[in-house]
Amino acid sequence: MDAAQLEKDVSEIAGDWKNKEGNLIMILHRIQSKYGYVPREVSLEISKHLDIPLARIYEVITFYNYFKLEPPGKCTISVCMGTACYLKGAPTLLNELERVLGITEGQTTKDGMFRVEVVRCLGCCGLAPVLTVDGKIYQGVKKNEIGEIISKYAAEENGGNGGHKEKP
Amino acid sequence: MNRLKKEDLNRIKAECRGKKKDWIKVGYSTCGVAAGAQEVFATLCREVKEHHLDIEVKKCGCAGMCYAEPLVEVNVEGMPRVFYGKVTPETADKIIEKHVRGKMLMDDHIYDLKVHEAGAEAGLS
Amino acid sequence: MIKRIFIRDTNSSSADKARDFCNVLRNQLREKQMDEKVQLIRAADMGVYNQGIVMRILPDDLLYGQVEEKDIPRIVSETICGGKRLNDLMCHHAARQCRIVLRNCGVVDPESIEDYIAQDGYQALAKVLEQNDPEKVLAELKTSGLRGRGGAGYPTWLKWNLARNVKESQKYVICNGDEGDPGAYMDRSVLEGDPYSVIEGLTIAGFVTGASKGYFYIRAEYPLAIERIQKAIDQAYACGLLGENILGSTFRFDAEVRLGAGAFVCGEETALIASIEGKRGYPRPRPPYPSTQGLWGKPTVINNVETLANISPIILKSGKWFAGIGTETSKGTKVFAVTGKVKNSGLVEVPMGTSIREIVFDIGGGAGSGKKVKAVQTGGPSGGVIPEDFFNTPVGYENLQKIGSIMGSGGMIVMDESDCMVDIAKFYLRFCVDESCGKCAPCRIGGTQLLNLLEKISDGKGEEAHLAALRRISFAMQKASLCGLGQTAPNPVLSTLNYFEDEYRTHVLEKRCPARKCGRLFRYSIIQEKCKRCGLCVRNCPSDAISGNREKGYVIDEAKCSRCGLCLETCKPNAILRG
Repeated sequence: MDAAQLEKDVSEIAGDWKNKEGNLIMILHRIQSKYGYVPREVSLEISKHLDIPLARIYEVITFYNYFKLEPPGKCTISVCMGTACYLKGAPTLLNELERVLGITEGQTTKDGMFRVEVVRCLGCCGLAPVLTVDGKIYQGVKKNEIGEIISKYAAEENGGNGGHKEKP
Repeated sequence: MNRLKKEDLNRIKAECRGKKKDWIKVGYSTCGVAAGAQEVFATLCREVKEHHLDIEVKKCGCAGMCYAEPLVEVNVEGMPRVFYGKVTPETADKIIEKHVRGKMLMDDHIYDLKVHEAGAEAGLS
Repeated sequence: MIKRIFIRDTNSSSADKARDFCNVLRNQLREKQMDEKVQLIRAADMGVYNQGIVMRILPDDLLYGQVEEKDIPRIVSETICGGKRLNDLMCHHAARQCRIVLRNCGVVDPESIEDYIAQDGYQALAKVLEQNDPEKVLAELKTSGLRGRGGAGYPTWLKWNLARNVKESQKYVICNGDEGDPGAYMDRSVLEGDPYSVIEGLTIAGFVTGASKGYFYIRAEYPLAIERIQKAIDQAYACGLLGENILGSTFRFDAEVRLGAGAFVCGEETALIASIEGKRGYPRPRPPYPSTQGLWGKPTVINNVETLANISPIILKSGKWFAGIGTETSKGTKVFAVTGKVKNSGLVEVPMGTSIREIVFDIGGGAGSGKKVKAVQTGGPSGGVIPEDFFNTPVGYENLQKIGSIMGSGGMIVMDESDCMVDIAKFYLRFCVDESCGKCAPCRIGGTQLLNLLEKISDGKGEEAHLAALRRISFAMQKASLCGLGQTAPNPVLSTLNYFEDEYRTHVLEKRCPARKCGRLFRYSIIQEKCKRCGLCVRNCPSDAISGNREKGYVIDEAKCSRCGLCLETCKPNAILRG
């Protein structure tokens, strides 16, 4: 990333949070929603911009599950592991996803297409089991629907958008 | 909106309560949206517009019946207030056609009904 | 006036019986020339379960249960034509819900402040500001008996009073919307469905305690709740309901949203404060309590979303009214998220003192799967399981504690016979081990050790001595952990162990999992007599554990089998045995 551009981006992201107390987590949220994860060079720039040590930033990032240090796949599939989903078969869904995509939870497929994650609870317990693909919620998912969901997204990526998008 | 005083609260309250009575509410919380409330809401709005119906279509929070989402509550004067559950865009079409325009309640889709205007709260006060 | 009759067969989910019943009724109405005046509607749900055919007749509002076809003639002649009530058919209406916290959820448009005002919104704040007497509000709350709905049940007025009595110019109030209990979503629903009531509650808390600034700490996993609260805050500022001179008074109050970032421990007060300060969510020893030294060292009151949603109704309808609902020590209502193996998953708000049985069976409709309900779990990772024998217990803070669970924030997860208690304990414990911040040894090490033991038990490597070890480590964690997370983490283990020790013993002594959940304690095999030699299972097996051919038949290699169950699901002639 171009240094001048990065500096501009970071000062935009920090924005009016710069001078507020306890701003770090909120700024990290903004970074993650822009880049999909917290890139190291952005953390370095934030450290300069806010005048706090990089270690302080990493201390916070690594404590909270929500922040990611690696770029996500083009599609992120999050399987809810709340108690209701767990009882209603979320582990089976996760196994099936892992089997179909050939990766384990927390990994991204080799082509960078899919990433599988486990999330705590999406708060849709009445619709259990649920999983989300890029934020879209699928409710009452059954094991034999997994293949269908994945091929739908795979087709979308390979079809309309001219094949491949550059990753950030 | 202007800065409100206590009198304004009472005025707004009176204005809102004096409004016409017919409305349709669509449960629009995370669970409702996950179950497809967006499509249902769009269908209802489209049908109401197409038939020039004098009924308000509104979004609201979760009524608690998550198993029956998307949930649509219909209040048409002279008819009981009912909740239609597991509503699809097709059912939404029928709600407008049968319930709102035909003044007939639909079979097999009603999950709850409210008999008293103030609901269960009435029993408390 | 036209009569409307809602009909449903509450014993089965099929509409067939209700349809036949409707036809018979319709014919008899036609004979009496009443068919024009009566509309029959087959309902999809009536809120009544296992009462046979149920009829609800409007406008009389009669509810008849266990109705048989032979009752139709007298229903037609006496009730429908004669307007008379048939007492022997009257159906006892199950536990009624009572909506205080959820009063506006599903009623108002959460993005419209006018809608909220139309439902008496901000009248409570107006009353409080007009009277300008914080002590009076405290007295009202004291009378109401309202206790914190986040789980611990600390009296709300006392919490507010502690902070109020500290002489300090800057104080804070925080709304705890970090609903981390997996399987509970009451707070999400209130924040999404009725954001203004929470803002109003927090503003009143600010006024009473003398705080000029409030924070909403909300889980990042709830994007819609965050959006709705943010919009509501913006609108409240625009209307002069936040900021300076609220409702024309001299009171000033600011509110702001801060996001969680996926750490369960941040539901704990001191960890939550650290998180708002932008730090790791580490808890710290108490005292000093947040009410004297909280956010940035200033007096801070932290209330749960549900607690704050109770404030306005108490002020408008009086503490005495609120205290009239509920039990001796637990007043008002409680919202439960009833989920898991229950027919009607959803949110229910019932008066304290309602029994678990009423919640699960009368309102939730029972298991729904045809299987037997085995237990419920309340309080999430800090709570415990309650077996079916104790379902008559009225819900309340002390009652649930007495039977080894806690009220918690309101998750109520229903489990049936196919759920293994060792597996459940493992699930919760894994959660706590993942979420342990690692600061204190009892929680960090104890949790891991407990989990190791449970894993051994569910893998068939358990020994009898392990059960005693589970109890011993649990006790140490309860006594020595620094914060609530570690102190309560062993609860799911202890309560399952107390109530379902048999199940643990079957795992340990017989190396068997009665619910067939623990993968190493059951196996799949092929019933050769039933097998049609189609080879579908071989093709579907992800771990190449099935070998053989069409002539000789097939066998499953237990060592290679991953217990995924695909063969069982794909086998057409049901030749796969699980046991």
